[in-house]
Amino acid sequence: MSRLFAQLRLRLRSLFHRSRVEQELDEELEYHLDRQIHAGLTRGLASEEAKYAALRQLGAIAQSKEECREMRAVGWIEDLIQDLRYAARTLRKNPAFSIVAVLALALGIGANTAMFSVAYGLLLRPLPYADADRVAMVFMNYGPRDFQYGTMCVRDYLTWKENNRAFEEPALLRTLRMDIGGKEGVPEQVQGASVTSSFFPMLGVRPLIGRTFATGDDQPGTSSLVVLSELIWRRRFAANSSVLGQTVVVNGTPATVIGVMPSAFQFPRRETEVWTNLPLNPPTRYGPWFYRGIARLKPGVTFEQAQAEMNSIGLRLVQDNPYYKRVTFPILSVRDALVGTTVKPAILVLFGAVGLVLLIAVVNVANLMLARATVRHREMVLRLSLGAGRGRVVRQLLTESILLSLIGAAAGLGLAWGGIQLIRAENPGNLPLIDSIRLDWAALGFIVSVSTLTGVLFGLAPALASARADLNSTIKAGGRSSSAGHARGRARRLLVVSETALSLILLIGAGLLLRSFVKLQQVTGGFFTPPQQILTMLISPGDRKYNDAAAGLAFYDEVLRHARNVPEVELAAVTDSLPPDRQGDADSFQIEGQTLAPGEMNPVVSAVTAGPNLFQALRIPLVKGRYFTDHDRQGATPVAIVSEGFVRRFFPDQDAIGKRIRQGAAWMEIVGVVGNVKYLGLTVDTDPAYYMPFAQMYSPRMYLVTRSSGDAAHLAEALRRDIQSIDPGVTLAQIGTMERALNLSMSRPRFNTGLLTLFAGIALLLAAIGIYGLIAYSVAQRTREIGVRMALGAARGDVMRMVVRQGVSLAAIGIMVGLGGAFILTRLLKAMLFGIGVKDALTFVAATVGIMLVVLLATFVPALRATRISPVVALRHE
Amino acid sequence: MSKPTDLVQGTLDLLILKIIALEPMHGWAIAHRISQMSNEVLQVGQSALYPALHKLEQQGWIEAEWKVSENNRRAKYYSLTRAGRKALAKEAVQWERLSAAISLIVRTT
Repeated sequence: MSRLFAQLRLRLRSLFHRSRVEQELDEELEYHLDRQIHAGLTRGLASEEAKYAALRQLGAIAQSKEECREMRAVGWIEDLIQDLRYAARTLRKNPAFSIVAVLALALGIGANTAMFSVAYGLLLRPLPYADADRVAMVFMNYGPRDFQYGTMCVRDYLTWKENNRAFEEPALLRTLRMDIGGKEGVPEQVQGASVTSSFFPMLGVRPLIGRTFATGDDQPGTSSLVVLSELIWRRRFAANSSVLGQTVVVNGTPATVIGVMPSAFQFPRRETEVWTNLPLNPPTRYGPWFYRGIARLKPGVTFEQAQAEMNSIGLRLVQDNPYYKRVTFPILSVRDALVGTTVKPAILVLFGAVGLVLLIAVVNVANLMLARATVRHREMVLRLSLGAGRGRVVRQLLTESILLSLIGAAAGLGLAWGGIQLIRAENPGNLPLIDSIRLDWAALGFIVSVSTLTGVLFGLAPALASARADLNSTIKAGGRSSSAGHARGRARRLLVVSETALSLILLIGAGLLLRSFVKLQQVTGGFFTPPQQILTMLISPGDRKYNDAAAGLAFYDEVLRHARNVPEVELAAVTDSLPPDRQGDADSFQIEGQTLAPGEMNPVVSAVTAGPNLFQALRIPLVKGRYFTDHDRQGATPVAIVSEGFVRRFFPDQDAIGKRIRQGAAWMEIVGVVGNVKYLGLTVDTDPAYYMPFAQMYSPRMYLVTRSSGDAAHLAEALRRDIQSIDPGVTLAQIGTMERALNLSMSRPRFNTGLLTLFAGIALLLAAIGIYGLIAYSVAQRTREIGVRMALGAARGDVMRMVVRQGVSLAAIGIMVGLGGAFILTRLLKAMLFGIGVKDALTFVAATVGIMLVVLLATFVPALRATRISPVVALRHE
Repeated sequence: MSKPTDLVQGTLDLLILKIIALEPMHGWAIAHRISQMSNEVLQVGQSALYPALHKLEQQGWIEAEWKVSENNRRAKYYSLTRAGRKALAKEAVQWERLSAAISLIVRTT
């Protein structure tokens, strides 16, 4: 150990006290020389002769010194320092070149690092759960409902548990909004999860204080227990540990607090703040389908084996219950379930796109370096002829390009940091695991390796070209033109072609996303009141007395009366579902006179509870019959309204009005048909729906919907105050305009589209700079030739055409390559597109025209300059 | 005259280690002593000696100290470190085996 230190000390001394070390070396050698002369003299040689002999024996002093230095193994470091100094000086001397190169690299590297952090955080960073890659989320996909990652009911879970061999004790969970009320503060609604006993132990997480659910806490008849998140514990209970054993009201039911989870535990959703125990009461029927399974694979069992076993359990379910046409249990790893199956491909596509941007930046800088290599040709030839090794010249040029790329990386790091802050603050598209997106060692490692690699990439070709320089011909030619120059020209043209191709691919990708985004914006939710005039909020009355229909209906009458009295409010109504994606309930139903096989049911569709005026407030068109009125109350004939899609599916070629359907006991007469409304999201096919009047199908938690004469956003506060004045125990949540809800539902496609468009824009800009650079450079080089042509009578138009043709012909090749690439690559976008195909002709044509225009513009400027060349000046050129 | 390349690789290192194992010595004295002890068969040039010394120092086998020499001038004295002493023992054994092996071959032919 101490020997290592001693060596290190020596090495550092050699490096940092260079002059002293050198001086000592001189002294040491001088002493030797003196002694040698002295020895010669004592042997009887004349003093001159002795000195000569000594020197001869000594060999070349300089050479020994060099060898001594090398033995101290600092030679290459000194070379490096020298190279770095020289590189820095060269870069300073060409500020225009350096700035353009650094900017291009900063953009490329910065965007890549930001994207890397996003991808790493979402797809790679280990989850904070024990052995998380062995834990699976189990969904249910069954016909006729047909949601790919659908949910199961308790009975399905029990069948699974009975036949389970692949997993350790599987847990069942349901996510839901929970109203938290109690003595400790004003009621509020938070994200909650209801889970069975094995949930916490399976994830291997420990509570901050107290305990989590234990075996038996999910048995029928267990009292209600609740585990709080650290966040809500701090907010509502001032982080007081006396909270354990205390009672809080969860959804109107008192529950005992048994533990607090640390804030790092964010499962199954990031914003989950409350976990309650889920008692597995013996189910009396199939449904409701509210639950997902989560389970840890037994040692040695693979996901595939587990999937196979689940499939056979699915077959058994189909046999047991004729309602199921087919059942599969899709299994996802916890990460895939958290991140979402649509996010992963989007992240990968964006990462690929940003990689292309970096590639273009690299090509651009390589181009600049090649141009400079031509200028510096003489310098390199001089160095070579003075005896510099080719390896040494390459090393020096590479040092220069890596330095350039590291400066770019430093600037890019700032860019990436800013980008990540922005993404975290905005959380576009409500990305899960957003907290694990950060600039850390992994990202730093990434940026260092990427920038070094890019430095080598764009530096190697010019460096090798320079080192290969043919001494004789160059010196003879006065350093002007050489065969190496032609090779370089070829390389530069190749670079421009690839640049055009790459940016066209990005442009087409961005164009496809933009077109789908526009299409998406044209999708109506099925309602025609301008969205900014609609204000909605979710009301939970809190107190259990409102579970009674009479008290509840009276409460909501009061709510509607208050709402209507707020100035500017034209109409107020209640509903349990809202477009574009807030489906309240889904259920099966029966049609009068329809004969079904035993156990058979109609498909589960959207079942909406709506008060009078809902259709008018949202302007959902009436196709036939009538809307609900105040007369559709308890005691009156039970009625229902169905959607057009419902009629098309269940009463094709019939008049639905007057037909009767039922969900529970009472038959409901269909009195109206309304337009289709989207309750499952804008991009999802519209679900058939039937509506039941609020007064006949009471449920305590409802959305209040108001339509106002103008922008509704500023009414929120007045409405909230007014409604809370009716009963202070009321929880109001999700207050906002329909415009905001629509925006929110579009945020993920907006994020993808915005980012890809940004990348394509950067790519286009870089390509334009690259093409401009090439043409401008070649015009400068051909000044003399152009002068001769003009002197011989070429018109300005001819010159212009000649220059433009050069750029356009290169771009044309690039466009062909790019179109081919886009044809292959755009299929990766398939899942992100809406309403158009991956080979959308309009996008392909528009992008091609766009890039043509940019190329023309980039060549036009230098072409114009070429026409201004004066033959007289040109012939004197050089 | 023996140039360093004529010496078997590493032999010079062994000679230096052996010489300064007796007492700390400066470069010239080392060269002188090698020549003396080998009956002037081995002449170590400065161009080989000093790089070897610096390398051994870098390896941590010898260490250097500036002292006043016998003729009253500052000179760099090299002495063996503990690691160097161990290395010398090993190298010496190695050398014995090697030279014995070589003489065996040379004599039989």
